[in-house]
Amino acid sequence: MTTPMLEIRDLHVRIEDEGTEILKGVNLTVPRGEVHAIMGRNGSGKSTLSYAISGREGYEITEGDVLLDGKSILDMEVDERAAAGLFLAFQYPIEIPGVATMTFLKAAMNAQRKARGEDELGTPEFMKEVRNAAAGLSIDNEMLKRALNVGFSGGEKKRAEILQMALLKPKMCILDETDSGLDIDALKVVSDGVNALRGPDRSMLVITHYQRLLNHIVPDRVHVFADGRVVESGDKDLALELESKGYAAFDGKAA
Amino acid sequence: MTIAMPIRLGPAEEVLIAQLESTGAKEAADALRAKGLPNRKVEAYHYTDLKTMLRDVPGTTASADAVSAPKFQIAGAYRVLIANGVASHDGTPPNGIIVSEEEGNALNPRDDVIVGMNRGLTSSHLKVRFEGSVDPVVHLDYRLAGEAHHVATSVLIEVADGATATVVQSFSGSDAAHLGNHGTRIVLGKDAHLLHVIIDQSGMATRHFHTMEYAIDEKVQLKTLGINLGAGLSRTSIFGSFNGGGAHADFSGMNLIDARMHCDVKLDLTHAVPDTTSTELYKAVVRGDGTSAFQGRIVVAQDAQKTDAKMMSQGLMLSDEAQIFTKPELEIYADDVQCGHGATTGDLDENSLFYLMSRGIPKDEAAGILTCAFVQELLDRVEDAELNEALTGLVDEWLTSEGRA
Ligand SMILES: Nc1ncnc2c1ncn2[C@@H]1O[C@H](COP(=O)(O)OP(=O)(O)O)[C@@H](O)[C@H]1O
Ligand SMILES: [Mg+2]
Repeated sequence: MTTPMLEIRDLHVRIEDEGTEILKGVNLTVPRGEVHAIMGRNGSGKSTLSYAISGREGYEITEGDVLLDGKSILDMEVDERAAAGLFLAFQYPIEIPGVATMTFLKAAMNAQRKARGEDELGTPEFMKEVRNAAAGLSIDNEMLKRALNVGFSGGEKKRAEILQMALLKPKMCILDETDSGLDIDALKVVSDGVNALRGPDRSMLVITHYQRLLNHIVPDRVHVFADGRVVESGDKDLALELESKGYAAFDGKAA
Repeated sequence: MTIAMPIRLGPAEEVLIAQLESTGAKEAADALRAKGLPNRKVEAYHYTDLKTMLRDVPGTTASADAVSAPKFQIAGAYRVLIANGVASHDGTPPNGIIVSEEEGNALNPRDDVIVGMNRGLTSSHLKVRFEGSVDPVVHLDYRLAGEAHHVATSVLIEVADGATATVVQSFSGSDAAHLGNHGTRIVLGKDAHLLHVIIDQSGMATRHFHTMEYAIDEKVQLKTLGINLGAGLSRTSIFGSFNGGGAHADFSGMNLIDARMHCDVKLDLTHAVPDTTSTELYKAVVRGDGTSAFQGRIVVAQDAQKTDAKMMSQGLMLSDEAQIFTKPELEIYADDVQCGHGATTGDLDENSLFYLMSRGIPKDEAAGILTCAFVQELLDRVEDAELNEALTGLVDEWLTSEGRA
């Protein structure tokens, strides 16, 4: 059997400041090249899962393990996990005034290259890569000149996340509610961008709350998330079943 | 009749009084004897108690050491070296710049010990006058060389009606316990345009005092940027008066403060006539156990209607021991005005740090990017490409230096 790209074993996470346990034993395996979806109510702990995998401060792992390509990443810093091939597309991308988008992209690409012992990217190559990737996502030059995410519309922010994903070429992508705040047209652009990045050596975990995204990004498997754990897994039809029956049928709570 | 309690003078005050008396500055000597150095009860020195912070005063004679290499250089600038208080410049100044030595001190008298000493210790001043549209940046390069000494300088910058100029004052020198007391008066004629950049890179042992006075006439456009990244103890006092309608000024500064540094900027502006506008934006980045203070006061006179003044101070603390003090004051006597102030102080934004790190950027580099972003808007105000590059280099160098523990 080949090593899965992502393996989450009995993961328990609590918020450091409050002590409340949010993740209560998550088990999940994403094989190489597959796209899995996580669906769950608001507040069920989906974003917490994405932050815990990324290594965000304040999310204390009390039990369990997370393996990326067969190796535990729990002792790694946030930036080391990224350089190892993990990417999180944020539900709410952060606005950073004073940092030009291009400067940021270059710093990120070169930091990862450096961590992997590769040479820095020259400006012409960098510009070429950005232009190519940006064109596919309908991102114009004007947007790239602005400060990172500052004044970007909801759709622009999500496209900028996918642009970063395209440039950083991660092997494991976690997309946290990439569909939220998008209209139908924007949803199509973003989904096409994501689909273009699917490949045999790249896995994805698509977090969403509505089934509609999964019409565009068709998953290999669907996991239903409730109260900090996976309560049901199935093929893509599970998303449809969830849509028609509602979350209550799975987690036993009133809607 | 009230009987003033005699105040107790310390050794630093005794030396200062003797130095003032030996130059014949009786008035300044008497004032110092009567009041002593200001302590924290004196409002203007609330964050910089000179009574305890200025413990020793070096002699007024400079040693014969040669001046060190310049610390700050701007490509294409016309430079005037002021070494241990003595000005010298090469050749004839470019068109529109008139440099001369004049009688008397440039600053106006005021109830301030530092100003009193500056006036008492200097009997002439360097005058730099601009006429017409002057292209090259004029760089007044102050250097304190050799062993510790006490030096006072006096400069008058005059921008004639309709003239345009860029002036940089930079301060550096040997790492000795110098006491530098610098005075600069800036007189802006009608419709004059000035960009004034002031950089302090004095040695850590040096005590640096700089008093600036701006007289702002009709339709003036003024931009200032003070960058403080040197001197163990520094105090900058800025006084400005808007005396003609239609004038606009952007006052700004950044304190880049390391461990064991204490840097205090005091701004005191008066909108004296109707129809003048200003912005004030002061930022501080503090590492280690450094201290940065900003006191900003804006007075709007009774008939100064339509004044628009917006003051903001922002602090970024890069360590738990860092201290940032800020005190904005508005005194408004007119009724039809738009004035406001704000202040923020905090550490680096955790969400932003996480976002950058999640893209593979290591923590230190991410912190550097965010700190740079914090001061970037001030550098963006400097349009001259060469000057902008030199200032950006200065800030980058500070950001990438380790900082003293
Ligand atoms: N930093 C935090 N501090 C306090 N509570 C948090 C924090 N992050 C998440 N939570 C709580 O954890 C639960 C799960 O939140 P989240 O992971 O954002 O859910 P989802 O992404 O599924 O909507 C919620 O009850 C939320 O209030
Ligand atoms: Mg969420």
